[in-house]
Amino acid sequence: MLRHASKMILGQGLRSPPTRAVAVGAGTPRMYHERVVDHYNNPRNVGSFDKNDPNVGTGLVGAPACGDVMKLQIRVDDDTGKIVDACFKTFGCGSAIASSSVATEWVKGKQTEEVLTIKNTEIAKHLSLPPVKLHCSMLAEDAIKAAVKDYESKRAKSNASEEAAPVEKAADA
Amino acid sequence: MWKKKLYSSTPLLTILLRTSKIPKIHSPNSVSHKNITLLDPLLQTSASFSSSSSPFVEIEGVSFPTVGGIFFGGPTFHRENVNLFTKKKNSFCSESKSAEKLQCWNCDATADGTTLFLVCQSCRSIQAVNHSIDYFQILGVERKYNIEVEKLEGKYKNWQKKLHPDLVHSKSQREREYAAEQSARVINAYRTLTDPLSRAIYILKLENVVVDEEERITDPELLAEIMELREAVEEAEGNQALNQIKAQIQDKMQYWCKSFEDAFLNKKYEDAIASIQRMTYYKRANEEIIKKL
Repeated sequence: MLRHASKMILGQGLRSPPTRAVAVGAGTPRMYHERVVDHYNNPRNVGSFDKNDPNVGTGLVGAPACGDVMKLQIRVDDDTGKIVDACFKTFGCGSAIASSSVATEWVKGKQTEEVLTIKNTEIAKHLSLPPVKLHCSMLAEDAIKAAVKDYESKRAKSNASEEAAPVEKAADA
Repeated sequence: MWKKKLYSSTPLLTILLRTSKIPKIHSPNSVSHKNITLLDPLLQTSASFSSSSSPFVEIEGVSFPTVGGIFFGGPTFHRENVNLFTKKKNSFCSESKSAEKLQCWNCDATADGTTLFLVCQSCRSIQAVNHSIDYFQILGVERKYNIEVEKLEGKYKNWQKKLHPDLVHSKSQREREYAAEQSARVINAYRTLTDPLSRAIYILKLENVVVDEEERITDPELLAEIMELREAVEEAEGNQALNQIKAQIQDKMQYWCKSFEDAFLNKKYEDAIASIQRMTYYKRANEEIIKKL
């Protein structure tokens, strides 16, 4: 039902539908929790990082049955392993948008290993998601893991090439 | 007296097993006390069992487990089944799918199960919904993906002329209820079969392949493409740009419809589901465009 009020959130701000989200909530017994509406109206951390930046991990996940697609990016400090910034872009229902928004808020300031323990049930509970929308929180959990995995694999690749370089130098010398 | 006949001539279990082949006719609660004592536990046979081999039977959207083809349960016993036992005894012996006999509740005329039994041919009274008749049969088209959509509308309207609730004001409460249910089912059939995506999902469902509602994917190519597409829609300015993107999406939809059809014909259900996923994504993007236009 709220799928019809799905929208993409850009950093530039929103178009009109916030009222639609509230209106639907008021009319039907199954309402969006106020936190979901809040994330919808006041999106946090919407945007994009440069995915080629070695400090950035990009998690791109989708739920094909409802046509949702979610991108979550983290910027990690190489020395401390701490996530210093996060952003997201989600095309889907209000619950999906809110779940990814919450995810970006929760990963900020944490270690990459730590955020892997964030569970979809916590996100769902925080947003009071109804059972039919639980898979949106699962999507957010998947996105976090995918972002960390992407960052780690980037780091592994760059470490491997760093090791190769000194060897080459020694061979040249 | 027919009770005795039943007990003495044929073992009860055999009757139950045989009657699982006979489609059920839904009816409002009409319980007769005699029948309760005769058949205990109460049973209903389900038409959909004969057409599918799943251990579950779906009656009006709810799944019930079956045991050996017999559905046990439900508080109501259907008068039609009693009629079937008494009057259709002979048909128990020689059953094949084409010899399924359905009986009109009004005039007791029988009809072949394979002919469309929404309206009785002899007394013109509307029958209860029979869920074993799938949407393709209702609209009289071949059960394949690539149907001619133009033909559907004519058949749909024809059925509505016979089944529309507004046309049965003078008839009994029971018949009006049947008319409402049948009319709703015909509408669903029409809507499902006209839209290519829902048709694809439905035809897979008939083959017992269900698209998982909660599956998540991480295919980077597909997701990146969809992400770009949705961003393009969002950033597009002016109707011309939007219509351009819309045309691109139409092309892609056609391609993947074809791809679905090929996969379906070759029974490659994984590929079929992948095509459906693509079609879903494109359809959503299309909806966004329409909203913006």
